[in-house]
Amino acid sequence: MKTLYCLFFRILLTVLFVIATPLMLHAEKRIGVIMTGDVPYYRIIHETFVAEFNKRTVGDEKIEIILQRPFPNSISWSNAARKLIAFDVDLIVTYGSPATQAVIHEKSSIPLVYAGLYDSDHAAVTGKNVTGCGFKVPLSSIIRYFKRIKPIDTLGIIYSGIEEDSVRQYETIRELAEQQDIRTEKIDIRLRGDLDKLKTKKRDAVFITGSSLAHLWLDDIISILRKEQVPSADIFPDSSEAGVLMTLYQPPHLQGERAAEMAAEILLGKKPGDIASHTFRETELVFNLLEARRLEITFPIHLIIEATRVIK
Amino acid sequence: MRKNPLTAYTFFKNFITRLLLCLFFVTAVPVSASDRTEELLIGIEPEHNIFEQMERYRFLASYLSDQLGLKVNLTIMSRYGEVIKRFKSLKLDGAFLTSYTATLGIKELGLEPIANPVNLNGEATSQGYIFVRKDSGIHDVKDMRGKSIIFVDPATMEGYLFPLAYLNRHGITDITEFFNRFSFSGSHASTIFAVLDGRADIGTAKNTVFSKLVRSDPSILQELYVIAQSPKVPEITLCIKNEIDEDLREKLSAVLLHMDQTPHGQKVLKHFEALRFVKSNKSDYDKIEEMALEARASIAEHGKNR
Repeated sequence: MKTLYCLFFRILLTVLFVIATPLMLHAEKRIGVIMTGDVPYYRIIHETFVAEFNKRTVGDEKIEIILQRPFPNSISWSNAARKLIAFDVDLIVTYGSPATQAVIHEKSSIPLVYAGLYDSDHAAVTGKNVTGCGFKVPLSSIIRYFKRIKPIDTLGIIYSGIEEDSVRQYETIRELAEQQDIRTEKIDIRLRGDLDKLKTKKRDAVFITGSSLAHLWLDDIISILRKEQVPSADIFPDSSEAGVLMTLYQPPHLQGERAAEMAAEILLGKKPGDIASHTFRETELVFNLLEARRLEITFPIHLIIEATRVIK
Repeated sequence: MRKNPLTAYTFFKNFITRLLLCLFFVTAVPVSASDRTEELLIGIEPEHNIFEQMERYRFLASYLSDQLGLKVNLTIMSRYGEVIKRFKSLKLDGAFLTSYTATLGIKELGLEPIANPVNLNGEATSQGYIFVRKDSGIHDVKDMRGKSIIFVDPATMEGYLFPLAYLNRHGITDITEFFNRFSFSGSHASTIFAVLDGRADIGTAKNTVFSKLVRSDPSILQELYVIAQSPKVPEITLCIKNEIDEDLREKLSAVLLHMDQTPHGQKVLKHFEALRFVKSNKSDYDKIEEMALEARASIAEHGKNR
């Protein structure tokens, strides 16, 4: 009888241990983060997100942030999303449209906060577990500034057909250009070899959409464009000053801060559906006069004064 | 008072100051006390593209020199509203002034308004606009709370005084508290580009510059929405010092008012981008003073604060 009691007691201890272990693990909350691509724009959002989030949760229970930086393609985004769902993280944060859509596609019940999404009102990222912030840059201004520095008959548009937000930007600027009788040429970058498309035709200027792939290879793109003496414009900041002639961008750190605020609220129990999404619209305009000199472009003085910052 | 001023504003101010120093030495140095009667020094307030502006005024100065039989020199002031200081320090004889500075000049210096140019649309007046991007979600004053606004210059009716009066009429007396950020661009065109780009949510500028930009790029009209318009006021006025000989003042006025009646005068007007000049009326500036009162600051106080 005593042996039976001992056996029962041991089984009970084992069962209690098995039950308690995951509970102990769950005492530490985990946030999974997916960048659409490991590019400076999303890195700035993430750095600000972490700093702001730590500020907001100081003294609270330990929170682990698991960062996924997949190479930009559909399979990698999907794998990153599945991995975080399998980890059973408490919250997923995504930067950029493809990563966000990969998570939504998995139909998980884990709350999702997105950031770095272009024109999020048109990005099909709604859901009761989803909230976040995005940005919008008036692409018409890019055309306007190009036209103020040189005649534009043909505009090349670098985008990536596998990145949903990049495609939307391509379509928007194509429409705007056509309204002004500017021919457009689409340059779809999916593989490094696609950069050779930049060498085949002559165009007056090139617009670089917010594609992760394009920004992974931004130095190569600029190097080709420089040889062809073609000016470029971008809606992501040229953080490394690779040589984009003008950038009109929404400061990414603001999105990192807002995403952190949303994440903290969700972990405190607020439902994502109760947190309104937000689109940032304030922009900064940067002219690279060093690059202008290389391209033998003269910026009129009354144009330079429009810039928030000038690289010289 | 200024919060987060645009770098462009500072750059613009510095650039104009330097340029003006050069222009001043080129044009104004020959003027001396002994030959004041043989020369007139006329000031101009800066526009967005001062090179184009100088070109336009150069033809007019040359025409006036020929017609009056004396040398008419021009000097661009470094910014709006510098008129009071420059009239005193540089001994300007007159100036082409925008509505607000003309009002200041008439009130504080006793300047005589002589004539107003009529622009190519047949208007001698301008209005202030308060505008936003159509996709901004801003439809009225209550939507403006917490947003950013960009003015032109504290010494402009269209670009500062009118929006302040308008906001005041809607119960907004403290713009520092009401807006997330406010700044000055230094020119009407710059405020329009700032709003188009998203560098500011709300802009203020005069309708004539707005229309000129729309004519050169009609897509602008598809993107901007004008929320409010000010009453019409004289856009540019040639104001002359009272100390200038009355005969000369009358002669100057006659030359300007009749220049559209001669082929030479018409050619000069074309370069100047005007159809003709019309006689100024002092009472036209009363409504600007009323607007200043509505903004709870007298024009003189604005002048002192600058």
